[in-house]
Amino acid sequence: MTAFRESAVTAPGVRARRAGSGRWRRALPGYLFLAPWLAGFFLLTLGPTLVSLYLSFTDFDLLRAPQWVGGANYERIFTSDPKFWSSVAVTLTYVAISVPMKLGFALAIAMWLNRGIAGLGIYRAIFYLPSLLGGSVAVAILWKQVFGYDGLINQLLWLAFGVNGPSWISNPSTSLYTLVLLSVWQFGSPMIIFLAGLRQIPRDLYEAASIDGATPRQQLVKITLPLLAPVIFFNLVLQTIEAFKAFTPAFIISGGTGGPVDSVLFYTLYLYQQGFAYFRMGYASALAWILLLTIAAFTAIAFLSQRYWVYYEDDPR
Amino acid sequence: MKTIRAEGAAAAEEADRSWRALPKHLALALASIAMLYPLLWMLSSSFKPEEDIFSDLSLWPQTVTLGNYVEGWFGLGIQFGRFFLNSLIVSGLAVVGNLMACSLAAFAFARLEFPLKKLWFAAMLGTLMLPYHVTLIPQYVLFQKLGWLNTFWPLVVPKFLAVDAFFIFLMVQFFRGIPRELDEAAVIDGCGPWRIYWSIMLPLSRPVLAAAAIFSFIWTWDDFFGPLLYLTDVANYTVPLALRGFVDATSRSAWGPLFAMSILSLVPVFAAFLMFQKHIIDGIAASGLKR
Repeated sequence: MTAFRESAVTAPGVRARRAGSGRWRRALPGYLFLAPWLAGFFLLTLGPTLVSLYLSFTDFDLLRAPQWVGGANYERIFTSDPKFWSSVAVTLTYVAISVPMKLGFALAIAMWLNRGIAGLGIYRAIFYLPSLLGGSVAVAILWKQVFGYDGLINQLLWLAFGVNGPSWISNPSTSLYTLVLLSVWQFGSPMIIFLAGLRQIPRDLYEAASIDGATPRQQLVKITLPLLAPVIFFNLVLQTIEAFKAFTPAFIISGGTGGPVDSVLFYTLYLYQQGFAYFRMGYASALAWILLLTIAAFTAIAFLSQRYWVYYEDDPR
Repeated sequence: MKTIRAEGAAAAEEADRSWRALPKHLALALASIAMLYPLLWMLSSSFKPEEDIFSDLSLWPQTVTLGNYVEGWFGLGIQFGRFFLNSLIVSGLAVVGNLMACSLAAFAFARLEFPLKKLWFAAMLGTLMLPYHVTLIPQYVLFQKLGWLNTFWPLVVPKFLAVDAFFIFLMVQFFRGIPRELDEAAVIDGCGPWRIYWSIMLPLSRPVLAAAAIFSFIWTWDDFFGPLLYLTDVANYTVPLALRGFVDATSRSAWGPLFAMSILSLVPVFAAFLMFQKHIIDGIAASGLKR
């Protein structure tokens, strides 16, 4: 029991003196508490990650043992797989359009709500709700109807302009943008993070600035945006990673095909098809590793770019 | 006197501001309606007879019918209640698993000293970035070898092994904010780490535990991909998978029942949102800021 006690809270000097013989014995409680996570980490995360890397160099259909094929999967992906490239194009387009729009809306509404307004809680809740429901199959089904041939959008178009709209979902030139719109509709969670960040900016900065005659625009550029940069950065990284992983709405709207004409064949959907429709598990593993490296590269670039545009206040604590 | 005058002036200013805020309220109200319109439209359509869904645009149904709900409930041959029960089992176990395993790990990271702690902590943070697609196929093979396909185990067991590192991270941040003096006093009183965890940390951590519980429930309830991979037998379907089955099984004309069941599937999420709005919003805000 004493060992348990000491390891929980021990003065640094005492710990240093006794380090050595009893070190591992006193490590026991820490490792007991960590045991479930450690088991999960080795069995479900680290192990599978390494196995996945190995499988990406094999031909594996789940029935026979994996056959080593060297770099053949990667070679085929990059040289003779048009679907790979079209899924990359779809995903990058989606990321490049939906993330900035979503963050732009989130920031604009957050700044608007932050200027002290009665009923803030209600507006915040209403704007957040679509984010909360957004990942659900129900909302994807709703979207499929809303942008379908006799859907809500076309009903409204007919009512307002007497125009017969197309089926937005089954038209390859518009289907991806219906999904972009769905993603933008869910700007609520970055909005709440922005709101929390805006609340941290000291009021007196604005007061001092307006006494000095700064216009609202100057206040935005000189005070709000720089002080909010860490939060903008956080939202940007988080939303971009999320956008790379988008799956459910595309699956539901296209019935799992990525159609029409692969226009909503997201990268993750293509990966799912290769792995679980064609049982090309080795090929799908290679696709997964390309996704991992892409996300890692994006994150690294984002973190490196921070020094040019994100200023962290020196934490006095 | 001075304070009273100041208050009066503030009140006047407040009133003035609220009067000027009117256009803003109007704009925000319009924006709110636009945001909620698709959901309200689905709700209202679920009570309309099939032919009215496509002709009647008003949000208030001219003829209210429960027919869509009845047809949807029995539509897949198995009553929808079965799917709700399945979803409830999976989501309930996911909540229990996440709370237990993640709080244990978070306590170790936030309060205990042990060799290699920094390494494990870095590894845990690393898993936050890892897209699940990478571990997907080996995990699938593992669960297949264990004979767990078409059972709830693959959806539930990982939660008991703290695979959702996001919650560990959230709890570590919270635990660090609890004064260390409390543990020190408890140690003097003869408490071991387990008592400190169970009798001091957990009761003081209700806000973060609540946030983790609600998010784990909602995310598991809405999860489509996991059940899509692992559940093959219709009797084992969770609600999202059943809804998908509906889209495939029914023809284009069955939007009414589909909407009705979609609305039902959103009810638990919506209820959780209404009841725990504050925790949900604080949880998101905290995840963004307390780095």
